[in-house]
Amino acid sequence: MKQMTCPLNGLRNIDEFIYGGPLKPIPTADAPAQAWANYTFGEDNAEGRVFEWWLHTPSSFWFIAERDTVSDEVIRTMAFADLQATASVDP
Amino acid sequence: MTALPRLPSPHGRLIDRSQPIGFRFDGRDVTGFAGDSLASALLGGGETTLARSFKYRRPRGVLSLSGFDSNVLVQIGPDPNVCADTLPLTPGLPDIESQNRSGSAARDRGAWIGLLKPFLPVGFYYRSFFRPGNVWPRYERIFRARAGLGRVGVTSVHQAKDKRQLFCDVAVVGGGAAGLAAAMEAARAGGKVCLVEALPRLGGAALYGPEAALEQLRPLIREIEAQPSITVLTGAFAQGLYGDYLLAAEAAECFYKIRVKAVVLASGAHEQPIVFRNNDLPGVMLASAARRLIWLYGVKPGTRAVLVTVNDHGLETALQLSDAGVKIEAVADLRGTRSARHDALAERGAAIHLASAVYEATGPGGYFGGPVASVQLARLDDDGAPTPFGPPVACDLVVMAGGYAPAAGLACHRGARLVYDGTIDGFRVENLAEGVSLTGAANNVFNLATETPEQVNHPFPIIPHPLGNDFVDFDEDLTVKDIKYAIADGFAHGELLKRYSTAGMGPSQGRQSALAVLRIAARENDIAPSEMGTTTARPPLRGESFAHLAGPCFHPHQRTPMHRRHLALGAQMMPAGHWHRPAFYGGPGERESAIAAEAAAVRSAAGLIDVSTLGKIEIFGPDAARFLDAVYVTTHGGQPVGRVRYALRCDGGGSIVDDGVVCRLAPEHFYLTTTTGQATATHRHMLWLKAQWRMDIEISAVTGAYAALNIAGPVSREILGKLATDIDFSSDGFPYMTVRMGTLGGIRVRAIRVGFVGELGFELHVPALYGEALWDRLLEAGQTHGIKPFGVEAQRLLRLEKGHAIIGQDTDGLTTPQEANMAWTLPKKPREFWGRAAVQARAKAKPERLLIGFRLTDASAPVPPECCLIIEDGEIAGRVTSAAASATCGGVIGMAFVSAALAEPGKAFSIKLPAGGFISAQIAPTPFYDPDQERQTL
Amino acid sequence: MPLALLRYGLSRKHKPWRLIPPTPELQTSYDVVIIGGGGHGLAAAYYLAKLHGIKNVAVFEKGYLGGGNTARNTTIIRSNYLTPEGVKFYDESMKLFRGLSTELGINLMYSERGHLTLAHTDEAVRTMRWRAEVNKHMGVRSELVGVEEIAKLCPQLNLSRDVRLPILAALYHPPGAIARHDAVAWGYAHQAAKLGVEIHQQTKVTGLRIENNRVEGVITSRGAVKAGNVLQAVAGHSSLVAALAKIKLPIRTVPLQACVSEPLKPFLDKIIVSASLHAYVSQSARGELVMGGATDPYPLYSTRSTLEFMETLMPDLLELFPFLGPVRVLRQWAGLADMTPDFSPVMGLTPVKNYFIDAGWGTWGFKATPIAGKIMAEAVANGVQPELIAKFGLERFDRFDQVGERGAASVGH
Repeated sequence: MKQMTCPLNGLRNIDEFIYGGPLKPIPTADAPAQAWANYTFGEDNAEGRVFEWWLHTPSSFWFIAERDTVSDEVIRTMAFADLQATASVDP
Repeated sequence: MTALPRLPSPHGRLIDRSQPIGFRFDGRDVTGFAGDSLASALLGGGETTLARSFKYRRPRGVLSLSGFDSNVLVQIGPDPNVCADTLPLTPGLPDIESQNRSGSAARDRGAWIGLLKPFLPVGFYYRSFFRPGNVWPRYERIFRARAGLGRVGVTSVHQAKDKRQLFCDVAVVGGGAAGLAAAMEAARAGGKVCLVEALPRLGGAALYGPEAALEQLRPLIREIEAQPSITVLTGAFAQGLYGDYLLAAEAAECFYKIRVKAVVLASGAHEQPIVFRNNDLPGVMLASAARRLIWLYGVKPGTRAVLVTVNDHGLETALQLSDAGVKIEAVADLRGTRSARHDALAERGAAIHLASAVYEATGPGGYFGGPVASVQLARLDDDGAPTPFGPPVACDLVVMAGGYAPAAGLACHRGARLVYDGTIDGFRVENLAEGVSLTGAANNVFNLATETPEQVNHPFPIIPHPLGNDFVDFDEDLTVKDIKYAIADGFAHGELLKRYSTAGMGPSQGRQSALAVLRIAARENDIAPSEMGTTTARPPLRGESFAHLAGPCFHPHQRTPMHRRHLALGAQMMPAGHWHRPAFYGGPGERESAIAAEAAAVRSAAGLIDVSTLGKIEIFGPDAARFLDAVYVTTHGGQPVGRVRYALRCDGGGSIVDDGVVCRLAPEHFYLTTTTGQATATHRHMLWLKAQWRMDIEISAVTGAYAALNIAGPVSREILGKLATDIDFSSDGFPYMTVRMGTLGGIRVRAIRVGFVGELGFELHVPALYGEALWDRLLEAGQTHGIKPFGVEAQRLLRLEKGHAIIGQDTDGLTTPQEANMAWTLPKKPREFWGRAAVQARAKAKPERLLIGFRLTDASAPVPPECCLIIEDGEIAGRVTSAAASATCGGVIGMAFVSAALAEPGKAFSIKLPAGGFISAQIAPTPFYDPDQERQTL
Repeated sequence: MPLALLRYGLSRKHKPWRLIPPTPELQTSYDVVIIGGGGHGLAAAYYLAKLHGIKNVAVFEKGYLGGGNTARNTTIIRSNYLTPEGVKFYDESMKLFRGLSTELGINLMYSERGHLTLAHTDEAVRTMRWRAEVNKHMGVRSELVGVEEIAKLCPQLNLSRDVRLPILAALYHPPGAIARHDAVAWGYAHQAAKLGVEIHQQTKVTGLRIENNRVEGVITSRGAVKAGNVLQAVAGHSSLVAALAKIKLPIRTVPLQACVSEPLKPFLDKIIVSASLHAYVSQSARGELVMGGATDPYPLYSTRSTLEFMETLMPDLLELFPFLGPVRVLRQWAGLADMTPDFSPVMGLTPVKNYFIDAGWGTWGFKATPIAGKIMAEAVANGVQPELIAKFGLERFDRFDQVGERGAASVGH
């Protein structure tokens, strides 16, 4: 079984985590319906490195993981706030 | 039968000669010894034919003795396909039978199928058996009856196996010289090591070789066994290497999951057969198998042997066999150079033939066939073309040393690939993942002392025969011709070739065939073998039992605090997710009457239901109200403290997913409930939204922390009045849809006045530990008032009478608030909430269907089962979502989705019953019961 | 013994049965380029040539023929869906399947075994009844059956009440079938090639040249070609290929793992599926148990195997068949499932004028192979969305108008 590092609890088996979808910006309230439809259903579903939401279920902690969707590697994980503080990423 | 004499020590290292063990095979008595594998015991007992082959029912015996052939799978009682190579002989085994035969392995009445071989080319089943039209099912029955190997005992009981988790720095797979050295080195470097060995003892190939090599290894073995930082698992077979270095190993009674940081594969190599006519006869075996037999088990595999070899390991084996008293009649070496070993064998009377091979082996003939009786030798010219020479050589053993393929399957599980390396005429492992390394024979190093590569392979140890039966894949009965023809049919790519010919799909997974198939395919495709791709290796390495994988089968159950009380009251429990809930109280045969009585009690007196399974969430903080408004369709921002509101939640697609109530306990403190099924999902969704929006709130899931009881019915207030309380339960003091906190019967309680079942009622939430106490007190207090506990079924009926939809039953995964007649929940003032855009977009289109209430026109008509269809003009116009016979409402009532055109008050429609026939119904206003909502607001 | 084999056995020489044509040289231009040489793409090529007379067709396959999900599914074929549009579509597919061996001249071993979807909860019983009623209304044989009937249909099932999730009822679908999946691709390839279709293996499409919202050219690892129309049928990689046409799909790609046991003498005729237990199993003509469960829990473009898949599947399977404990798993593998939010495909026209899509096949693509090929050929030939797949268009998501299969999400297959 793969493992993942919860930013709060450290390295755990991946069955303690739940995938929560790709990180994508939520449209603003005044965005057209089309933008919401895109947000709701449209997926990059990209190969390679992606940023995603993950939940550590025993501690109910949502965080961000950078993961490679080809090699099945978890590259790094971080709290959402820490991600926002990083300039290198533009989710 | 008494055991045949075994070879003297040091032969037979694993057996205990003082402990004979008798068993039965194919109806005959056989005796082996403790320490024997079933296969060695059978051979020791003179049984050479252990099975019949998959397709042509040819007699087969031991090939590798390493646990990788389908030639030695036997049936032991209800257990099919047990590998005789690896099964330890223990006292008390049930009768053992060979597989895939009628009669016995030696005398299979079904052997006639072999005569059809010329008519059954590779992929023959694709070419025929389908014309005319529907004829395949008839053929399939015949094929199926002949296919398959063992038989499952469909009545046997499951025997659970253990699982154990180990953690270490380095796992070393293989307890031979290379593995021992690697383990010791890792331990000396300070690592915690786990050494996994399939044999019951450490030593690897040295265990099945002369004393000198083993003697050299013994100090290291002792040191390792004494080393506290090395965990030695013998009798454990490493099955798979998974993500992040999780190594799975299977032992007899236990499945190991070993988490490591690095893996050293010292797993050796798989010796390869040589392809010639009838190379599958019993008595034709690999050199390593012959060595295993004499050294591990003291079994003499034959009396007169012929060796066919491509390397010195074969010659060494012949010398060891000769030492053990086997007469070596002839040696056919595919190589052309004579060496000292040849001379040594010649001195012992073996005829030495260089640049030669076995051309054909011959059995005893006859209908049943049998073990090898002689071989015809052939000289090979420079192109490898054979020319038979000399008279047949009589023998009862043919030893094949056809080279090796690295046993590196575990590395391949982590992305490595076997590639054909022309410089060594064999496979090499490429693209090793970080943390995975190879040592010893797995790395093509056969002499650890010198580490110099030794030429052990031959570019084409394949001697095709015009009459065929030159087997390439023993599991699948594939010959050289089959591979050639598959390629001619267009299946040139390695993967396609495998799929069409089935080469490598049998129990040995191509371990003894992949190299030969690749060599033949390369030749047919006219390319270098290195240009042929290899197929992907996947776990498990060999058959892995369901029981081992399943382990002890633990499953979570959730029980409410009142669970014992329900059982004591005779409740019929039903699953609700991981929860168990009372469906009704009474015997299985009392279902209808029990539900009716429970419902009647609620309507006329009082009922008590355990609703602890409802999801419960607390939200605190300055942004709490704003947060709830953003989560729910319903509006809670302006909800006064002490008030309760219905809450409806949609997903991003605008479909209803959950409902419940929201109680405002304080300006910045809300307590809310969810449906049982959505408790976790709603909590997680809220946490996710909170993380995104970074609101100043705290969210706590408290489902298990609170027991919840709903007391409902006209006398419920009186019953509550009998318990000491500081809560004013009066109509004015505690109006409908409000919440109060206080104590009741000495228990701290959150009392919520709601009316799901349509009567005066209170939902009482108390700390879980007090649930049972409150349950008891309420039932006791209500005894004289006619209180009855009621279950989920009565609740379903009661709420249906009130026209309340159950989310998930009366709605489906795509129901909008409009369709469910819940447009009233939408915010009056425009407000952003989750799913808002979708709800609005979908509301623009007029709903195609609406949830309505109905009554059956005919009082004597049966209750239509839920999900019956509504048919109008021959088209589906809806479906029943709930239906029940209601004594209170005087007939069958229900809810249904109907097309918008139908959804008019009083309109009649037809419901189709599953068994056929229609019943008439009429749209009726809801609530059916107490339409003025007087009773719940009493 | 059938005549063909008799003739073969008596002849001296092996006459190659050239099932799969060798890859030809690339031409400069094709009327239709099909990206993806799996069952769907090859079927579309065959029907384009056969029914629409469009024979200047090239199929580009990046690996080997039928090596994607066609080779990796568990071969279950059924039409007992929930929505009328779903039932109609898959029933058309089954009709084609029944005559397909004869049409393609290869034994697909289409075997109607009967398909039992077990219900362990009240909710599941309701959903099964719903499906049964819709099926029957659409003329598809399906019935909700009780425990006594299940015991007759599959006496090996553990019908004890004393288990974690007792079996309460089942949806019985007598026409439910299995087939030899690889042979479907080979048969279509064989016949398409006979009609003039070019099949290019080891030819990866790396780019699309788009001008004025039309695909003008297709760039491959072996060179560029011009294309009149382009169809993508690349289950498991749909989003990546669609991205070459700048189309975003409502798809997440997740592995779906499966495994087979060693060959066993036949004991299981029916195809058994349990939604609540996330397990399904059938026994092949070779005697192997073919088994699967839920999709993997997160998106991935890798067909690696995981231990937890087996560790979750096996307890569930042993609850259904407790006597299977000593049976062994021989092989485990994975395919890539393009999951859509509404468990329905994305088919037909796209915002790019001459670009057509056949995607979103999730875990249910194999059973649709013939009809998907036929209907996509029709779409490409006529340039309009065929009525049969009117509800499966990509634009439905712009309207938040999902297909109702979502209404009863469960393990499908």
